[in-house]
Amino acid sequence: MKQPNASNYLAWGLCCAGLLVANSAHAGEHLVTQKNKAFSVKKLTVKVGDSIKFVNEDSFAHNVFSLSAPKSFDLGSFGNGGSKVVTFDKPGKVEVECAVHPDMRLDVEVTP
Amino acid sequence: MTSRLSRWGRACMLLAGLSALAPVLAQTSPKVPQGSLLPKDSVDASTFRGGLVFANYCVTCHGINADGNGRAARLYNPKPANLRASDKNDSYFGLIIRKGGAALGRSEFMPSWEAELTNEQIADLVSYLRSINVAKN
Repeated sequence: MKQPNASNYLAWGLCCAGLLVANSAHAGEHLVTQKNKAFSVKKLTVKVGDSIKFVNEDSFAHNVFSLSAPKSFDLGSFGNGGSKVVTFDKPGKVEVECAVHPDMRLDVEVTP
Repeated sequence: MTSRLSRWGRACMLLAGLSALAPVLAQTSPKVPQGSLLPKDSVDASTFRGGLVFANYCVTCHGINADGNGRAARLYNPKPANLRASDKNDSYFGLIIRKGGAALGRSEFMPSWEAELTNEQIADLVSYLRSINVAKN
């Protein structure tokens, strides 16, 4: 039986690396802006591994956070033009809020 | 029975006395009809309004009892401040509310509120925090 040589291992490695790159390329980034004390969308469906980039287009700071079980986070305060990214790594419903503006709300559905 | 009558008697005398004083009181103190609203600039009114501000903006982290046990407290280490036990003075309260925690070397997760709250709301909030504070300072 023919033993695998170094070039076979190299080919396997490249193949696996390619798959990993392809998988990470699948993960999308969704843009959600904050303007006039509101998120640009009220509901959003993303896939596990996807990210949301929050961009503040108001002249004052926002503080995006969530206490939902699939993803609890606090992005801290960021002012005009600032942005923060959060990645969703588990499926489920995530309620996103702003600590400074209690009326702001975004419901994110994270699908497998 | 004697005791009850004498109590009634004392009550009647007190009422009579107050009635006699009524014209004098009416001349010396401002006339505030019963059931009227608190004067806007009174400490009580400010404290009441501050409680509403606290309930709307602060309870998520600091909790309804202001003891640092709000529903979001589990996200933070160190946890949000126990405002009932805080030894900070009113100026400090006002400053950290306006500028946020990071500006005073405290938690970066305490936002700056100066763009959201008016000066009056911040002053009211400080009044409220003072009213519930049990620390000796």
